[in-house]
Amino acid sequence: MSDERLEVFLARLLVDEKARARFLANPRSVAEEFGLDSDLFGEVDRLGLELAAESCAAKRVRRSQRTVRT
Amino acid sequence: MHRDRVDCLEVLADDWLDKPPRAPRRLAAEIPTSLHGVGLGLASACPVDENRLARVAWLINAVEPETWSEHFAFVRAGGIEIGHLAAPPRTIATIEGFTRNLHRARVAVGSMPLMENVATLMRPPGELSEAVWIRDALLSGGASMLLDLHNLYANAANFDYDPLDFLAAIPLERVRQMHLAGGRMWRSRLLDDHQHDVPDPVYALLTEVAARVQHPLTVIIERDGNFPTIEHLLSEVSRAREALARGRAR
Repeated sequence: MSDERLEVFLARLLVDEKARARFLANPRSVAEEFGLDSDLFGEVDRLGLELAAESCAAKRVRRSQRTVRT
Repeated sequence: MHRDRVDCLEVLADDWLDKPPRAPRRLAAEIPTSLHGVGLGLASACPVDENRLARVAWLINAVEPETWSEHFAFVRAGGIEIGHLAAPPRTIATIEGFTRNLHRARVAVGSMPLMENVATLMRPPGELSEAVWIRDALLSGGASMLLDLHNLYANAANFDYDPLDFLAAIPLERVRQMHLAGGRMWRSRLLDDHQHDVPDPVYALLTEVAARVQHPLTVIIERDGNFPTIEHLLSEVSRAREALARGRAR
């Protein structure tokens, strides 16, 4: 169950800018609020999280625009 | 189609889940074709979306590809669609979840997907290294692998490890297909964008894998945009053949 919760948490960080900013401001306490072991986020990959979120957003836009000729 | 210089094709499965797959079916009848999925999210502690899995199974039955493949990634959780491949937490629980999802996929489709390592810009949480997570997931699920050498190259560059150590740690005898691609630097990280030429170190990794295993390997070059001429793409295919041959000759 905790790993499902961890995936939900990561998914939220990747798609929700406000949640991401709040987490980056205080990773340990936000993780604990979510019921996660704060040690998992001992060394937060801040740049990686920001880039991954930006990349995911760009992918979502491209996917919504994609059309395929049949 | 330059059939004399191309041995196989890969078709993105998710583009054909909601429409009659006449074109990929026609291709699969003419040339060995792999259907490549990006939307199942098998590498997850959460159960795979059964409706989506049923549509993938329908498509595979309709197209009859030689192989199909998916990613060591999760793409949704708790009702949130990430919209892209996300590296799973590297934990025992996600290996167990992946194993259950792989079984569901095998039952639904009738065959197992080749599983591809993903590029990630963010180091995922978890106690296992990427190589150990992938090794244990492959062995636990009994799956074969689609080894993406640019994903490996990018992750090694971004997280400072030696890609040869990765190759030494995974069961290379399970690798059946390989992807080559190119990317670009983005704020100090290497982005796997599939819009650039395959870089030399990726060909070198192909030679390395070819030297370490003897079984047949299918090599696919991925290009999603910024398309060069077909002659340029075919020259990359030739370079891949040469890299493979160099490894076999070692």
